[in-house]
Amino acid sequence: MADYAHPEVLVSADWVEQNRDNPKVRIVESDEDVLLYDMGHVPGAVKIDWQGDLQDQLIRDYITAEKFADICARSGIANDTTVVFYGDKSNWWACYAFWAFKLFGHDDCRIMNGGRKLWIDQKRPLSKETPSYPRTNYSVKGSDPSTIRIFRDEVLAHLKAGKKLIDVRSPGEYTGELLHMPDYPQEGSLRAGHIPTAKSVPWSRAVNEDGTFKSADELKGIFEQECGLNSADEVVAYCRIGERSSLTWFVLTYLLGYPKVRNYDGSWTEWGNLVGVPIARGAE
Amino acid sequence: MPPALDELVEELREADRQERIELLIDLANELPPLPDRLSQYKDEAHRVPECQSPVFLFLEREGARIHLFADVPPEAPTVRGFVCLLVRGLDGATVEDVLNVPNDLIQRTGMAEILGMQRTSGLSGVLHRLKAMVARTEAASTNQAQQN
Repeated sequence: MADYAHPEVLVSADWVEQNRDNPKVRIVESDEDVLLYDMGHVPGAVKIDWQGDLQDQLIRDYITAEKFADICARSGIANDTTVVFYGDKSNWWACYAFWAFKLFGHDDCRIMNGGRKLWIDQKRPLSKETPSYPRTNYSVKGSDPSTIRIFRDEVLAHLKAGKKLIDVRSPGEYTGELLHMPDYPQEGSLRAGHIPTAKSVPWSRAVNEDGTFKSADELKGIFEQECGLNSADEVVAYCRIGERSSLTWFVLTYLLGYPKVRNYDGSWTEWGNLVGVPIARGAE
Repeated sequence: MPPALDELVEELREADRQERIELLIDLANELPPLPDRLSQYKDEAHRVPECQSPVFLFLEREGARIHLFADVPPEAPTVRGFVCLLVRGLDGATVEDVLNVPNDLIQRTGMAEILGMQRTSGLSGVLHRLKAMVARTEAASTNQAQQN
């Protein structure tokens, strides 16, 4: 992990095993599949669900600062706690939870490299017990979300200014052959394609078969040699609802050390439904 | 709804949140393995494309009745649980029974509450795919009958 720009944000399964009883550390499982945590998790880990916990159930947005403080307090997370996220699908959802924690300004967030899959493949201990921790007094520090999150009007301005965009969806979604995932009417868009000039880098290219992240050199090969990005660029990453792109945001920001990367969480479900915005089809 | 399906749906609906999670985990663990004779046909034609995970559905007909088989990876227990509900609830059902399964089945089980909207729509894809497959076998067998 040493070649990464910010290697401290990535911890190994060994580190987690040694630190899971450390009161300054809280392990958080965040999955696509809601049943996985209850079927067995890293002993001592709490569950935070990206949909049920972190998203507002009425407005398409994240929860309020008060609710976020409550989730942290009930999970035994204090302002100075080291929060380590891990999850299924190569940490796709763990990165989403990590990003959401950064929106609220939590300082010390990390990802367990390899996620749930590697932990299980290495036959490390699993527990079905839901732990409980003393409630903390969490106060949301807040951050400037505009450093990591971008809204549609700013995306349009970003595009017009000729700045870089990365589309992390599957190739079929990018070229516009797939309008949306078939039979996902609630996640659909009226138009297919991608934001003009966006480079296609499916999110999964950043991870290895075993769920760990690719090396810094391999990542540079993809994002710098292939896509022509460099660390001074302002970059916007997007996907369908902003989850896959939070993994790419994590990779660019922490593993390659790009200081100006933002996740467009409106993503294709917003852009593909907006009236009058430019769209491109086919390979680019 | 066939009584077996009705019973499973009812059991889930009456459960509280944690019981529902446990019932779904039980179902996920109890999905029968795919018979050997079918495992060689795990191809795109049998895959449910709406699911992020590789999910394969198979139908066999025995006269007017259908038998349902499936393969779902253990990493996707929610899908396994839901597919097991369909396999158990609909094994031996008629084509008509399957086509009459309400499209809001997931809402009726109360699963939607623990899943959230986005995950729910993924699972709906499994039911839609199953109905489309059943409708196709029915059309094929009707054609065959006419040709004979």
